[in-house]
Amino acid sequence: MRRVIREAYLVKRERDGGCGMRRWASVLAVVVVIALQAMVGLAADLALDNPRTMRFPTVEFNPPDAERLVLENGMVVYLLEDHELPLVTINATLRTGSWLDPADKVGLAGMTGAVMRTGGSARMSPEEIDEELEQLAATVSVGFAKESGSASLDVLKKDLKRGLQIFADLLRRPAFDRSRVELAKLQALEGIRRRQDSPGAIVGREFAKLLYGAEHPSARETSIRSIDSITREDLVAFHQQTVHPNGIILGVTGDFDKLAMMALLREVFGDWAKGTVPEVTIPAVPETDFKTGAVRFVNKDTSQTHLRVGHLTIKETDPDYVAVAIANDILGGSSFRSRLFNDVRTKRGLAYSVGSGLRASVYDEGVWLMRAETKLSSTQEVVNRFVANMERMRNEPVTDAELAEAKEAYVNSFVFSFTSASSIVSRLMDLEYDGLPKDWLQQIRDKVVKLTKEDIQRVAKAHFNPERLRILAVGSGEALSKVLASFGEVKEITLAPES
Amino acid sequence: MISLARMRTVSSLILVWYLAATTPTQADSPSLADRVIEHKLANGMTVLMVERHQAPIVSINMTFGVGGVNEQVGQTGLAHLYEHMAFKGTRTIGTKDYEKEQAVLAELDKVGTELDRREREEAALAYTEGKRAAPSEAVQQLQRRFKDLQDKAGDYVVGNEMALLYQRHGGVGLNASTGKDITRYVISLPANRLPLWAALESDRMAHPVLREFYKERGVVMEERRLRTDDSPNGLLYETFTSTAFLAHQYGVPTIGWGSDILSLTPAETEAFFKTYYGPNNATVAIVGDIDPKAVIALIEQTFGKIPAAPPIPALVTEEPPQRGERRVEIEFDAEPAVAIGYHKPTIGDPDDFVFDVIDEVLTEGVTSRLYSKLVRDKRLAASVLSDTNYPGVRAPNLFVIAATPLAPHTTSEVETAIYEELERLKTEPISAKEFERVLNGLDADLVRSLRSNSGLASQLAFYQTVAGSWRYVVNARDRIAAVTPADVQRVATQYLIKSNRTVGVLVKKAPDKKIAAAGEVAR
Repeated sequence: MRRVIREAYLVKRERDGGCGMRRWASVLAVVVVIALQAMVGLAADLALDNPRTMRFPTVEFNPPDAERLVLENGMVVYLLEDHELPLVTINATLRTGSWLDPADKVGLAGMTGAVMRTGGSARMSPEEIDEELEQLAATVSVGFAKESGSASLDVLKKDLKRGLQIFADLLRRPAFDRSRVELAKLQALEGIRRRQDSPGAIVGREFAKLLYGAEHPSARETSIRSIDSITREDLVAFHQQTVHPNGIILGVTGDFDKLAMMALLREVFGDWAKGTVPEVTIPAVPETDFKTGAVRFVNKDTSQTHLRVGHLTIKETDPDYVAVAIANDILGGSSFRSRLFNDVRTKRGLAYSVGSGLRASVYDEGVWLMRAETKLSSTQEVVNRFVANMERMRNEPVTDAELAEAKEAYVNSFVFSFTSASSIVSRLMDLEYDGLPKDWLQQIRDKVVKLTKEDIQRVAKAHFNPERLRILAVGSGEALSKVLASFGEVKEITLAPES
Repeated sequence: MISLARMRTVSSLILVWYLAATTPTQADSPSLADRVIEHKLANGMTVLMVERHQAPIVSINMTFGVGGVNEQVGQTGLAHLYEHMAFKGTRTIGTKDYEKEQAVLAELDKVGTELDRREREEAALAYTEGKRAAPSEAVQQLQRRFKDLQDKAGDYVVGNEMALLYQRHGGVGLNASTGKDITRYVISLPANRLPLWAALESDRMAHPVLREFYKERGVVMEERRLRTDDSPNGLLYETFTSTAFLAHQYGVPTIGWGSDILSLTPAETEAFFKTYYGPNNATVAIVGDIDPKAVIALIEQTFGKIPAAPPIPALVTEEPPQRGERRVEIEFDAEPAVAIGYHKPTIGDPDDFVFDVIDEVLTEGVTSRLYSKLVRDKRLAASVLSDTNYPGVRAPNLFVIAATPLAPHTTSEVETAIYEELERLKTEPISAKEFERVLNGLDADLVRSLRSNSGLASQLAFYQTVAGSWRYVVNARDRIAAVTPADVQRVATQYLIKSNRTVGVLVKKAPDKKIAAAGEVAR
């Protein structure tokens, strides 16, 4: 087992996407030089000793561009060679997802993806595939998420052809072996049994339900009944209905030759016929359900209160998105630099993990939230700090320094979005999948650079709404409901027993 | 593979095999071992560099040979608390006016230490008298004075300034971690920002200031609650590990026992820094778009000025041989799990390489013995994993197998099935095919781990610190390739026995409606 158990304690945990922007960088083969000279200064200012006054020129970098081709059956292929290491990686994004799960078979998409990988193919048994892949030290994975599916092959250059044949077979001709379907169902049931074990897992899932409603595709959960009802035939049908070449975007990176690769791809995918591809549609959450505030708790015998405070928010395509992302960055999204981190953790010592997050997609209402874990006796103070900091974002402009810091951090770390061929290609795949323009990130960057303090305050007022706040606390019940009472009428969420 | 043990992956032996540079998989790329440039400063600090010019970025990993093992009784958690304090700044960073701040901090530390002492005394007295008394007037006075000083000190603070500077300059992945053996500080930067790093890091190696001490103690307590007290696996591993080690410091949680954390003082934290954070106890690995000559000049100009510290104190306590199985249960409102550990020698010992093979054969991948038997075929377990170097590598450690049963099966059934497979290791030689799979997997993973500058920097600094030289990794792959089926049988027979075993079992306990006491003084 090469992923080892190891004990180490980190000063902080990195959370995904510093600014909460999923695509915080550019895709194209542009020179990544952003001339924010007024803020960044010039090399001439360089003073070696004092970190406060050091100035450096923005690094210049010409990231390589990927080539985009389309097979006759509609499969889109991005290719970017990178010959440093003798490896080839193929990632696929599939136009499917759990948003398609029927209400009485929640878990169907997830299980289809899982058993596509484990259930063998028309040509090989599950055991033969596992044996061969592990002997080649190749990895294949398949997983279906809410709005898309993904599959990947990671293989040594010398084994490319064999790896690709198996990979293509699993995508096109999965066998859904009965015994592997049975195993996947048992594992899913065990997952249900264990999902109330940790307060961190409970608070995440219950908060999604509190925002979207328990039946919404962004919050609904598997149940023993839904898993029990899923049959092998359901998986076969779900695969047949949703996985088609014209719904697949392939990203190929690594040590290969472009022409030879295209020939190989045509060989394994070329005769796969087109199908009808579903367009992602996520139902809106009814206005009346999410416009109101709410205070809820889950009783679990814990030493800390696990807190989530927030509400639904805009989509990624909203004109305010960039400004909201930067407002969130300053409020709590940027760890050390953020107000919540400084206030709740550094100045008050009340939490190890604290911050705010913005998660937006192009399909669905997003989530904006503040979060922390703190001992019971400081729970009320932490929620008060959340509200106070949110109000401050609304009632006064951020400082010039805060805005400059947010912009500089963005501009100067831009280069990290181009560090590998695979990061460049997967960004292109994401944008195409979501129907966003190739220069989407340039657009975002240009907007960031132009933001003013007034913009930030305007969107804070519009999109951080105290009257809509939904508060969820997982912790020790009776006392918890008392400390939450000052924020509104407190109701308990009772978890159904899972075993 | 499904992993339920969610502890940090600080390191593994994976990188080793690629650095060996003899594998057919990368015959056409130049040997990485030839690309490592080593430089030692007069004050003892070690610098390791690898040039990679794919993008104008650089990853830096600064590793100190200090961790939980270096703590004394009553001060557990000190190494980790210091790691947090290292982000509080220096005499120039993080302060508005160090001259004035210094006097307030000195007074605050004195009052805080006295207040801790008096509160403990009164708590002990209340305990012997069997009643809870209100704090005495003297303590209340100290509390007021303490709060006053703390507010005053706060006026001088520029919060998180060091991190802010890194972020402004485009730094990503700023972090630090403390383990049993080592403490590390990591950052990735646009490549031309190395002078910023050198200025900040040499400053904190020379002149750190322990500001906001008592606040950070509170933060660490919250971290303990989050990672250990509220985490079924956190509690399982803490209890399991302290059962396996009776004498050695490996048995003590790195985060520290709660009572110890709340008793740590600025004075002992400062002393800990002076003892363990000299340049002679530091290795920095720098990987990316660099010019090694310029880097050496920069580091000589900055870190080179810092005097060497005295050699760090030797560790004397050794774990006595285990004489009989130890079993421990941990009750929690969570589904069951089991951890099984066997004492074994550590890196450098010939038998350690045999354990690397055993580890892979048992749990790496879905065709591994334990996964295919327990999870796929018998369906007794939902997950199974192993770790051959738990919880550290500088002293003899444990080979650990951990599993979660698949209901309705029990931990006891899972244990029995695991032991059957361990017996098989003793009686049947592993097959040539299994061995080939192990080596192929290791070789390929090594190539993969090179995709990341930070991963490479981490591995180089790690082995330099725990094995004395990063070159350890060059030899390790050949040592593993030389392991024979007979070695596996011999080592399994010698170590994987009941009397050398510790078993920790997580037992489901129904939710307790009683409310947790909020006994801690909030500062």
